[in-house]
Formats: sequence, C-alpha cells, structure tokens
Amino acid sequence: MSGHETRSGSKPEIARALADSLADCGVKLVASLPDNWITEVIDEVDRDARFTHVPVNREESAIGLCSGAYMGGLGSAAIMGASGFMTVIYAITKINYSYEIPLLILITLRGAFGDHHKHHVSNGLYLRPVMDAIDIPYTIVSRPEEIPQIGKAYRHSRTFSRPTVVALTRDLLK
Amino acid sequence: MRYLECFRHLAKRRNGEFVITSAGNSGQAWWAASGDSEASFYLDASMSLSTMFASGLALALPKQRFWAFMGDGAFCMNPGMLMVERQMNLPNLVHFLVSNRSYGATSNAPLPSGPSCDFAMVARGMGLERVFTFSSIADLESGLDAAITQNASGHTFVVLEVEPFDAEEQRLPQPPFDGPELKYRFGRHLEMVSGATIFDYRV
Repeated sequence: MSGHETRSGSKPEIARALADSLADCGVKLVASLPDNWITEVIDEVDRDARFTHVPVNREESAIGLCSGAYMGGLGSAAIMGASGFMTVIYAITKINYSYEIPLLILITLRGAFGDHHKHHVSNGLYLRPVMDAIDIPYTIVSRPEEIPQIGKAYRHSRTFSRPTVVALTRDLLK
Repeated sequence: MRYLECFRHLAKRRNGEFVITSAGNSGQAWWAASGDSEASFYLDASMSLSTMFASGLALALPKQRFWAFMGDGAFCMNPGMLMVERQMNLPNLVHFLVSNRSYGATSNAPLPSGPSCDFAMVARGMGLERVFTFSSIADLESGLDAAITQNASGHTFVVLEVEPFDAEEQRLPQPPFDGPELKYRFGRHLEMVSGATIFDYRV
C-alpha cells in the first residue's frame, strides 16, 4: 500500500475511475485548474493518452475553451475547485446560457462537512445556493459507486443544451 | 487606422477562415465588413473569452483555420490567456487584438493603461513568437500575408492599432442573431465544411 492509500477507494483508484468515466462518455479535452482535493485526478488525466489536458490560467478560460471545443465537435470537461467555480458564473451564464452550449464541469464540494479549511466557509455557505440561483443542474458524488453519475451528467448537459455540474466530496477524494 | 477600414481590409483578405468576434465593437465591425452569418460566430456575450473559445475550436478541427478578434478592453481582463495560447500553440489560430485604447462598446471609456501598454511586448513576454503589429492599411497590405499564412509554425498574435469608433460608427447595427440561432448556423456550416459531427444528430 502506498503512503496515501489508506482505505478501499483510495485516491489513485478514484482518480482512475473518474478518468475512465470521463473517457467512457466521450470526453477528449480536459481543461483544469488545481485544488488540493483533485490534484491526483488532474495528474491522472494528464498522464492518460485518451485526453488532451490543458492546464488553464483561470477557470473562466476553461469555460471558454471547452465551449469552443463543443462547437468543434470535441467532447470536453472542465475540472476545478469550488472557489474557481464561484468565479465563472459570468462565463457560464453569458456563453453557455446565451448560446445554449453544453458543458460538463467537475468541482470540489468545498466547505461541506469534513472540510477543515476555514477559508472555505464561504463555499459551505454559498456554493450550492449560487448553483441553485443560476438553475444549473448538479449532482453530488461522494462514493465510488456513484462515479457513473458523471456520464449521466455529461449526457444530460447535451440533452439540456446547458452546463451540468458534478460536485466531488472530500469523502470520495481524500 | 480606422477600425472599420481595417476590418473591411481583413474581410477582403480572408480565405476560408472561420471567425470568432468578441464582446465590444468587433462584432459590429465584422458584421458591417463581412455580412457573414454562417462562418462567423459573434460571441458578444464573452468578455475576454473569444480566443479561448476559438482555441477550443482550433484544437478540435486542426484542418480548419480560425481568426479570433478581441478588444484590448477584454484583453486587459484576462491577459493570462496568452499563457494558455502559447502552451497550446495552435498553428491554425490567429488572435487579433483590436487595440483602440478604450472600452469601445461602453462609450469609449478609457482603458486603465491608456496608450502606454505595449501589447506586443506583453505577448512576447508570455513566450509568443509569432507576434505582429499593424497600425495602418499600408502596413496590412505589406505585412498581413506573413501573419495569416496557412503554413504558420505556431500560434499567431496580431495587434491591430485602430481608432475608436466615432459617434456614427457606434450606431452600426449589432449582428441580429439570437444565441441559439448563431450556434446552429455556425455549427451546421462547420459540419458541412469540415465533415465533423458537431451536434448529436444531423438534419
């Protein structure tokens, strides 16, 4: 057992399962910004030849990049932390809502029970209310057996012609 | 150089490129210059994201060529995009920075940097190598071919130094499309030209 494998469903296996889930639903481009909870996931995607991984400068750039990829027929996903997601409301509501462009976004469910970082209090208070306020469909994945929800969220985004969010919990990732 | 004159010149020199315009005056100017309703995506709702959007397209369709316009006001909101563009280094994408030193769509409110910012130097500082600046139609006539060549070695960044819209130009019509219509007009045209499947069904 490696140093950070502490239990069944430990980080490398979860990262791989998340990458498999993305690949299975047709994602070929992944744009990311890091968050400590998803470092392993981003590393996994970066190593995985099934994906073109583009680390971006800010989360809004990921929204623009993935939206353009959709218009070119390339499946994509944006991976970011909760705080980053809170900065992309303009981009989502302007680009994806105005032009009805699908997009799958994976975020961390920061500020929820078990997150000991005080600076994520704001996400605990406002992340879900903000998602509700812009009527963006989202699902919370907290156990390995729920990872297939990613494929459903991807397909729903394309049916709905708007973004969907999969929020990954600390219990899943750490 | 006059903004509209510059865009009319670019429209004449265009050779099959797909065009993405930005929030600001570029959509108005390109609509006036080209009247294009199929191979241009007027991404008006997108402060600072037109070239990222175009990068996604250019990555997805490497055999097609893309031009993306962005005002310097939008650029100031997200200059770090150039780091991503440098990293992707897509040879089929030209980023046109339309520098009128003002927020043109909001009554020409002045840019914080005024005339002092050297956008070409910013781009070089971010590692871009194919960087061009044009300040007149004569410059474009003599140098544009090198900037928009189909055999570019990598990503291209072009600064267009233009005058802000005057009062009459500010009244130029906006492209008259709702978002979903643009999406389908552009996407269906792209499907026809490239053979790619953009949407989940064909008509």
